[in-house]
Amino acid sequence: MKNSAPLALDLAGIKMNSPLVAASGCYGYGFEYGTWVDLREWGAIALQGTTLHPREGNRPPRLAETPSGMLNAVGLQNPGIKHFLQEVRPRLGELGCPVIANIAGESVAEYRELAAILDGVDEVSAVEINISCPNVRLGGISFGRDPVAVGELVSAVRGTYRGPLIVKLSMEASDLVAVGRAAESAGADALSLINTLKGMVIDIAARRPFLGNLTGGLSGPAIRPVAVRAVWEMAVAVRIPLIGMGGIASAEDALQFILAGASAVAVGTANFIDPHIAREINSGLRRFLEQEGLDHYSELIGAARDCPESR
Amino acid sequence: MEQTGELAHRCLLLENRELAEGWHLFELQAEGLVHADPGQFVQLRIGSATDPLLRRPLSIHYADAQRGRLRLLFQIAGSGTALAAQFRAGEELDLLGPFGRGFPHLDEKAPAIFVGGGIGMAPLFFAAAVRRGAGLPFKFLLGGRADAQLPPDEYFRSHGIEAQIVTDDGSRGDRGSVTLLLERSLENLSPPYRIHACGPMAMLSRVVELARPAGAAVHLSLESRMACGIGACLGCVHPFYRGEQIEYRRVCLEGPVFDGEEVVFEK
Repeated sequence: MKNSAPLALDLAGIKMNSPLVAASGCYGYGFEYGTWVDLREWGAIALQGTTLHPREGNRPPRLAETPSGMLNAVGLQNPGIKHFLQEVRPRLGELGCPVIANIAGESVAEYRELAAILDGVDEVSAVEINISCPNVRLGGISFGRDPVAVGELVSAVRGTYRGPLIVKLSMEASDLVAVGRAAESAGADALSLINTLKGMVIDIAARRPFLGNLTGGLSGPAIRPVAVRAVWEMAVAVRIPLIGMGGIASAEDALQFILAGASAVAVGTANFIDPHIAREINSGLRRFLEQEGLDHYSELIGAARDCPESR
Repeated sequence: MEQTGELAHRCLLLENRELAEGWHLFELQAEGLVHADPGQFVQLRIGSATDPLLRRPLSIHYADAQRGRLRLLFQIAGSGTALAAQFRAGEELDLLGPFGRGFPHLDEKAPAIFVGGGIGMAPLFFAAAVRRGAGLPFKFLLGGRADAQLPPDEYFRSHGIEAQIVTDDGSRGDRGSVTLLLERSLENLSPPYRIHACGPMAMLSRVVELARPAGAAVHLSLESRMACGIGACLGCVHPFYRGEQIEYRRVCLEGPVFDGEEVVFEK
């Protein structure tokens, strides 16, 4: 018998009808795209990063196009958690799919406070803690490099948030697998990887870095092989599910991550080029399952490990 | 959520004409886009490969709703626009839009003054054509580097637009800047009137200064590098005054047309 929901999953308690997640920072609060596209194609939407206090973000220019990729240096511009609760929260039900709140703090105490606030917010299905933003001076990546610091941070947040807790990792970590393990031991329910890679473009005419923030985070197809490798390595190191991301722009790209060991995949930059990308990827995944005679995509999770060389 | 309209458009390119040196005029069959407002823009995909990755925001230059035709006008400014310039008639272009908020109050009786710097004239032309169609008064001032780097006079005339043109080298019209032209125009005009401008930031800054003594409203169409064009990525922001404060606003969503008095100009 054919499975009527070949893409549905329960990711650490998040009920998703597709393994596709709209990546945090690329999808605003969902409403911006919701004006134009059917958001129910997403398994979940990870909202833009929220901080305790409003942040104006980095000075422009914030974008630079690079070969098959782009640098961004937005710097967590957001109106803060208070505005989020008053203005954004009441509208989240309109999105029509589970919502993941992404939080970033400048100290462990701030992460804790944010998580405690979100613990009582029913409209939010999960919290993703961002310890990998390359574009802010305090917080972000400064927490994500060291496994001990990550363990302490995740424990602190775990103590105040009871729902599914996702930790978003960066390749800037001294030892990515160790950081993932530390997050798992401290109580994380899932890991998302990878965040953007820190990069730079120089304006040769002005003889200065092009971006207002000097450096930015590289995303897009250019980083995909690095991200697939990161998922591959993490998948054997932890038991909690992985949300793989980095340059996914098609069902074929998504399948690479799933075969490497990701239970879900997030799409960021590709939305900018094709706002209907979730619909495209979902139908591509369904087609692939049909061609391969598979009942459910989960049969493919980590299946690339069956090759003789990896055993 | 409620969907308000179609976002993605596949449009047949009917003509790609070099209207001036390095300026390309696309004439498109685009029924789904012709009801856009002057000042709005579209996001053009350059190719199906990943380099260049991002779409390019292009001003809507003219729309003919009856014939379902849309025009885009752009200047080659980098690798993306250089590739776009190679599209040929008969190809189907991949567009998103229309995006953004256009020029306000185009239907009011008081005269409108359009001030364009170079390719900045692209969206102003559409706004002027709308006023021409409604029989409302306007002036169209345009500055460029040289004669060859501006559309021919005939192009404006054929749309009923009497363009006053100056060039840096005097090869068409007087030698000088368009803001000088604006200064002279304002001497012979008594308020109320409204100014709409698009062009380099230094020019826009001067336009705001010139409008201030007369208390004229000024609307500026800004340019920015964009990724999403939809308001989600926060990549295209520009600083604006909000009372004593400065805040970043999205050029794609809150703009690209803004109240000139609120725009922050870098010193």
